Amino acid sequence: MILEALEREGVEYIFGYPGGANLPIYQHLHEHPKLKHILVRHEQGAAHMADGYARACGKPAVVFATSGPGALNLVTGLCTAYMDSVPMIAITGQVASTQVGRDAFQESDVIGATSSVTKHSYLVTSIDDLPRVIHEAFHIATTGRPGPVLIDICKDVQQADAERVTPDRLEIPGYQLNGHVDLNRAGEAAQAIAGAERPVILAGHGVLLSRAEKELKEFAEKAGAPVGTTLLGIGAFPVNHPLSLHMTGFMGTGWNLKAVQNADVLMMVGMRVDDRVTARLADFAPKVKTFIHIDIDGSEMGKNVRPHIELVADARNALEAMTPQIGTLDAGRGQWLAQIDAWREEHPLKYTRSNDSHSNGRLQPQDVLIDMYRRARNEAIVVADVGQNQIWAALWWNYDQPGLFINSGGAGTMGFALPAAIGAKFARPDKAVWCVAGEGGFVMTAQELSVAVEHQLDVKIVLLNNFSLGMVRQFQDDFYGGVRSHSDLTHMPDFVKLSEAYGMPAIRVDKLEEVGPAMDTAEKTKGPFLIDFRIDPEANVYPIVPLGKSLNDFWEAPN
Amino acid sequence: MIESPHPPAAPATSPASREVTNRVRVLSVLVEDGPNTLSKISGLIRRKGFHVRSISVGPSREAGRSRMTLTVDAGHAEADQVRKQLERVVEVIEVEDVTSDDVHSRELVVAKVKSFQVAGLVERGAKVLDTGADGTTVEFAGEGKDVGDFVNELMRHGVVDVARSGPVVMRRTA
Ligand SMILES: Cc1ncc(C[n+]2csc(CCOP(=O)(O)OP(=O)(O)O)c2C)c(N)n1
Repeated sequence: MILEALEREGVEYIFGYPGGANLPIYQHLHEHPKLKHILVRHEQGAAHMADGYARACGKPAVVFATSGPGALNLVTGLCTAYMDSVPMIAITGQVASTQVGRDAFQESDVIGATSSVTKHSYLVTSIDDLPRVIHEAFHIATTGRPGPVLIDICKDVQQADAERVTPDRLEIPGYQLNGHVDLNRAGEAAQAIAGAERPVILAGHGVLLSRAEKELKEFAEKAGAPVGTTLLGIGAFPVNHPLSLHMTGFMGTGWNLKAVQNADVLMMVGMRVDDRVTARLADFAPKVKTFIHIDIDGSEMGKNVRPHIELVADARNALEAMTPQIGTLDAGRGQWLAQIDAWREEHPLKYTRSNDSHSNGRLQPQDVLIDMYRRARNEAIVVADVGQNQIWAALWWNYDQPGLFINSGGAGTMGFALPAAIGAKFARPDKAVWCVAGEGGFVMTAQELSVAVEHQLDVKIVLLNNFSLGMVRQFQDDFYGGVRSHSDLTHMPDFVKLSEAYGMPAIRVDKLEEVGPAMDTAEKTKGPFLIDFRIDPEANVYPIVPLGKSLNDFWEAPN
Repeated sequence: MIESPHPPAAPATSPASREVTNRVRVLSVLVEDGPNTLSKISGLIRRKGFHVRSISVGPSREAGRSRMTLTVDAGHAEADQVRKQLERVVEVIEVEDVTSDDVHSRELVVAKVKSFQVAGLVERGAKVLDTGADGTTVEFAGEGKDVGDFVNELMRHGVVDVARSGPVVMRRTA
């Protein structure tokens, strides 16, 4: 019954792990060949795979886990998806309804443990509710602001027989999708931008989720307004466009931060405006006279920054409504755009190549990423982990297509990249998939290498091995008195041997001249491949705004 | 230089018209009557750093739906976040923020006092529920301020115990 319902919803992949409380479902899985089940090695991996799958193709995948420890292992993965508004359906087995509350074997309050990291959740104790619940779950997960939905199903319900009813009607009184759309002030917003002297647009994940890249470009070009993106908004606006400000936030580019801090009208589209974007809130965009905020989730309005004009709507609908209302620009843009160009020249992204005369000779992460991106072009999907590797991967490429850069922005979950890259490859077998990770995050979910090997997935793993929890080490050096406390990673495995133990080829690279040939080998080898790039342990992420400081105070890479 | 429209202090941050500044909100909330509803709402309130001053729940006009009246302090959040966040809970069908609206607000107080001389309480509208060897039990219903006054008055009668329902509200007929 559950599996039939999943087929009806058009599910292609299930990432799961069996156990006592979901065995009734597994018993019948083979009768449903349309549902492809991928056996993971840890439930967290299943959630990240479903997450990577959905981010890569836009469709939700399903996660299976058993009760108690199985379900609780999903929590981090659900949180990661929830923070970044990624659709997902998690189906967990629960002890029999007659056992609930008796501390039965492997019983845990899964609804209680996950309600803060799911868009919605259900405990199903009666078979009669099941068809409706599954249908609703998919609707809720994929509409509006997407997110994970969990269905906790008691074991006796999984075993119950029921008449096959197809729920055709959806009636969720508390979920009024379009109840809050408010585009009344679209004209006013467009004119505020048109009338601005120093307009700036910031675009977040919402632009990608609503597939509004084209509309954003049209709007920005017509309004002559420069556009920056958040970390999760990368791809929403082409980085090599003359109006691009690249990435914003406390590790954003210098010219972006200068523009934001000097803007007189700031329009924020499809984003939450969190602390990573604003740095010290009181000093965020201090010259702005008019904040415009566009988001599909009305609760984002004024949560962090109180807008003067709020549009509660899907980003695409909002931009479509605004563009025709721009009219003529009051102020010329020449001076403002020239100023931004000057800032771009003054504060470029920079690093010392490892063959430069004043280099320390160690391989730099940018040496590796630039080579990788040259191959990836704007076609491959790059999935980054969390830490320095993530920010380097975000900054050192001129993304000009949506959906090619995947990372855990809101939750910052180490260990995300490998399983998410696996999920992305299942979603887009036609695309090359590169996984960029630090060695710290990599070992958190490295057991999922088995999945990549078992299915011979063409996932190329670029390990930026700096022998430390690099981002933590950098923060300790700069903001915590230089005390390197537990950020050195000693006693790590030999990553080449580790890969080989999983049945996957790998090589180690220490020098710049070895980068190209190693990448060649990786590309030529069918199936998964790992390159252990041993990079400069002292390499840092720049620009960076010191903790607690304003965006004005960003530090740049030393010369 | 133009002044930042969002200084760090939480309340009153902008010229936007719909902004709400009073941190304590009174909300009338229609919810689905289910096993998860109360815990989801209370979990949300805790996570967001809000604080519940009072809560009352009872069946509504429609079967399967309950009416909650909540008095919530928005804590460090913008005050309108209380309504907006509640609206995101799927089990929540409707949220009305009635803080400064024209409503009838009533709270029930049941109290036990040592004294047998309760004329002062009866004068204020209290009803005697019983009298026994250890004192008198009275009930009182009224609007916020009257309830406060009544509870103060109880002190003078040697109050043993008080139970309060928390306010329930209803819009006035137009
Ligand atoms: C699960 C989890 N634990 C802890 C952290 C805190 N954290 C953020 S970055 C970082 C260091 C990551 O080190 P590594 O994976 O080696 O990547 P690098 O920064 O060196 O590129 C840590 C520990 C986190 N983000 N996620």
